[in-house]
Amino acid sequence: MPSTTAVHDDTTSRAVPGADGATPSVRVEGLRKRFRREDGSEVLAINDVTFDVAPGEFIVLLGPSGCGKTTLLRTIAGLETPDEGVIEIGGRTAFASQRGIAQPPERRGISMIFQSYALWPHMTVFKNIAYPLTSRKGLRLSRADIETRVRTALAQVGIPELEGQYPSQMSGGQQQRVALARALVSNDDLILFDEPLSNVDAKVREQLRLELVSMQRKLGFSALFVTHDQTEAMELATRIAVVDSGRIAQFGTPQEIYSAPATRYVARFIGAINEIEGVVSAVESDHVVLDTPHGRVVSRDTSAGLLVGEGAVALWRPERGHLDTEEPNTVNRWRVTVDAAMFVGSHTEYLVRSGDMSARLWSPRFEDVASGSSSWASVSPADVRVLPITDGEGGPAVTGSIGTTGYSA
Amino acid sequence: MTATQTPPTAPAAPSLDPKPSSKKPGGIRRIGLFDGVTIAIGLALVAIVVIPLLRVLIGLFWVDGQFTIDPIVRTFAIPDLGELLINTLIVVGGSSLAAAVIGVLLAWLNERTNARMGVVGDALPLLPFLLPPVAGAVGWTMLLSPRAGLLNSWFRDFVSLFGIELETGPFDINSWYGLIMVFTFYAVPFVYMNAAASLRNFDTSLEEASRLSGAGAIRTLVKVTLPAIAPGIGAGLLLCIWFGFGMFSIPSIIGTPAGIDVISVRIVQLLTFTYPPETDIAVGLSGFVVLFVGLAYMMQARILRKGRFATMTGKGSRSAVTDLGAWKWPLRILMLVYVAGSTLLPMFALVIVSLNGYWTPNIGWDSLSLDALRIAVLDDFITRQALANSLGLGLAGGLIGIVAAALVSLYVARNRTAFARGLDVGIKMPAAISNMVIAVGILLLLASPPFNLSGTLIILLIGYLALYLPQASIAADAAVSGVGKELPEASSVSGASPSRTFFRIYLPLMVPGLVAGWALLFIRMVGDLTASAILAGTGNPVVGFRILEVFNGGSYALLAALSTVLVLITATVLVLVMVYARRKSRFGITTKVG
Repeated sequence: MPSTTAVHDDTTSRAVPGADGATPSVRVEGLRKRFRREDGSEVLAINDVTFDVAPGEFIVLLGPSGCGKTTLLRTIAGLETPDEGVIEIGGRTAFASQRGIAQPPERRGISMIFQSYALWPHMTVFKNIAYPLTSRKGLRLSRADIETRVRTALAQVGIPELEGQYPSQMSGGQQQRVALARALVSNDDLILFDEPLSNVDAKVREQLRLELVSMQRKLGFSALFVTHDQTEAMELATRIAVVDSGRIAQFGTPQEIYSAPATRYVARFIGAINEIEGVVSAVESDHVVLDTPHGRVVSRDTSAGLLVGEGAVALWRPERGHLDTEEPNTVNRWRVTVDAAMFVGSHTEYLVRSGDMSARLWSPRFEDVASGSSSWASVSPADVRVLPITDGEGGPAVTGSIGTTGYSA
Repeated sequence: MTATQTPPTAPAAPSLDPKPSSKKPGGIRRIGLFDGVTIAIGLALVAIVVIPLLRVLIGLFWVDGQFTIDPIVRTFAIPDLGELLINTLIVVGGSSLAAAVIGVLLAWLNERTNARMGVVGDALPLLPFLLPPVAGAVGWTMLLSPRAGLLNSWFRDFVSLFGIELETGPFDINSWYGLIMVFTFYAVPFVYMNAAASLRNFDTSLEEASRLSGAGAIRTLVKVTLPAIAPGIGAGLLLCIWFGFGMFSIPSIIGTPAGIDVISVRIVQLLTFTYPPETDIAVGLSGFVVLFVGLAYMMQARILRKGRFATMTGKGSRSAVTDLGAWKWPLRILMLVYVAGSTLLPMFALVIVSLNGYWTPNIGWDSLSLDALRIAVLDDFITRQALANSLGLGLAGGLIGIVAAALVSLYVARNRTAFARGLDVGIKMPAAISNMVIAVGILLLLASPPFNLSGTLIILLIGYLALYLPQASIAADAAVSGVGKELPEASSVSGASPSRTFFRIYLPLMVPGLVAGWALLFIRMVGDLTASAILAGTGNPVVGFRILEVFNGGSYALLAALSTVLVLITATVLVLVMVYARRKSRFGITTKVG
């Protein structure tokens, strides 16, 4: 348990959402880790990462493969040693490069679920789950206590009948539950998840996801969960950290990430998005105006702090756009040709084009619009996000959208 | 709409002091000790290979404290040097080529056609373990000696039914073809294993695409399949060449009576059957072995570099099988005949001759008894001593070898540093150097002052360890990689100390693989003749040395009896380990022998 006596006086000044001065489960500060490639060049797998996890939070580290999210998780577990920075777990320093502290994983008092489940094949389910109880230093439990706790954990994950089995005799979903029970059994305040659901099939995955959320909310442990699946991230997380090339591109609630992406990278990674690049022509207290090759775009989003003359990009979600046959009474409107209309059940997706600009629009109603017909596309200034055009944001600057699955918040 | 983002960074706050307990680097220090011991063992293992090798190479230019090229000059002055080299090249080249053809054919039949048989695939790679080459050479002599050879005699009886009377022959094991044949039997498993593995990993859709493009089965085999598995065949051939140059028992037992001298036999003669030993010339000849094996390595590397061969998909998806039609059964029978002929026939000859008590084609089937075996083996003091020494060395050497190799493998797997990689290369290096050369180096280094280990069991133990280190290391690597990365990591995260992780996770999971590795080493060491011929003497007899001694001046029945005992020992260990491995496999732990 986190030691409250060790908490420094001014920890209350920390901006830990929902924590009101409680010791964070995890505090990471200025973390860096370099890897050397085969050709000798260096890569920053973790590049100056700082964040806090409040007790009871479910944090998802989200990013494409190779972005450094798994390395970050493994440094917190103690399985990899960072080059610089500080890691505190439950108020205790687990790693501090300047003070030469590097606790081995077995001293960190955390649990972890691995991508391959990592169940020991030579032990029964019971022994697998009991292992953390018999391994922890200073945790002297009687045989009866161990049995009670293992059985409780098995019941929590819903497989009380499997305790005598060997892992090789079980299905992937069952193995996943054993791994979960092994993580729960020691009642640690922090559990790390390394893409644990990527090896089970879609149906089981959905089921396990729901159970995991309700279990976490009920038992109250903090979770750090690595995944590349944005739907999974949205469903599980209280807050999401979008990781891009070793940095945290944005850290916020699923709603914030979706409706107010901090960068183009985040906007493209989560959900579908339409983009138009332009130059800022006016900045007022409650709106920004962009001049683009496709006319003026007005946005109510003034958060980027842009100046007149700067390059900027206007972004909006397909479900915020409208398609009308009559000219709408909105400032952001374009005369477009409908290239295709695709009915996907919950909504209809329209691919529209105006000159060399194309966009996607989602409408909850299905209207039989003929391909090639002319129409009006529009979006309200309140639904347009404006971000500066920054260098180094990978990917071609296509006007349109990235990401295949849309997610309605 | 949220206009502001949550700041990703929290303001810096003074760090909390760690609890005193977290400052104790307890776990780390224990790894330090563990790793320290491992590094010392690893360096010792590398040293017993590298130093003897250096001793040989330096011995070419440095005799009695001064620079000289005398050994080289004297080596080139050997009157029959040309013949010696040509003989060796013919035997090694001929048997390697024959092994390539037979091995690839067997691998293709067994992996890619409906003539496949599990028995053949399982049995072929085991031949050298079931029947150590020294026993195989004796067995084939019993079968194909011109006068008393069992097969020859039975063949003569058979043709006499048709009125053809023969006094001797028709076959003679002590001939070029006899020598190359037995070499080939032992070389085939190298090609077979590599070719079969390549074929298994080979994406069959490449073959299917060829068939759809209009190429027939044979054309597809030649144009698509063979080029794709060329690296596998190359690796197999390289092993054949390495094996051929270092092989001593087969040419000594089969080639020498035929007057076919090869380098390996000459080196042993110069060192042990010549007085005073002609060390310089032996070193000079070893230089040739290093040269030839090195050339083979360079060719192999060049082949691999030339083409982008090994771009095969990880798993042999669905292995589409070629239907051989009417050829299926004839080819199956041919495969069975090959396996039975190369393994069971010589074993049978050994057993019959040793039970009969003396070597004659006229076997008294009623009078077969274990008496001869008992008299020949147990009642003979030196033989008994040799058996005891071999068993002891096999048990201890196998155990030391596999445990040391396992520690090094574990260290290399956990520390991906340049030093660890160097250690790994060093420990596997004997695989690239001929056994003969290492044994010569160890003799030169350790038999003379200040070590004076000549005639001791220690020098044999060191020799065996140095020679069979690569096999131990490869077996240990397989055992370590079978454990994987996440299982021990899960143990650490669960709160287990490094030593607890080692004993509770690594060790139980590695034991099946290590047992298999131990069996491999045991069989190699007990059946060894290369190091034994050079390093053993009357003071420290071992089975291989005793067989050679009996061959040079004893009874054939004793020779057969000794070989039979050797086969019995190795076969028993092999079967026990395979049964054990099968039982362990229910945990999903895979173990391979060989």
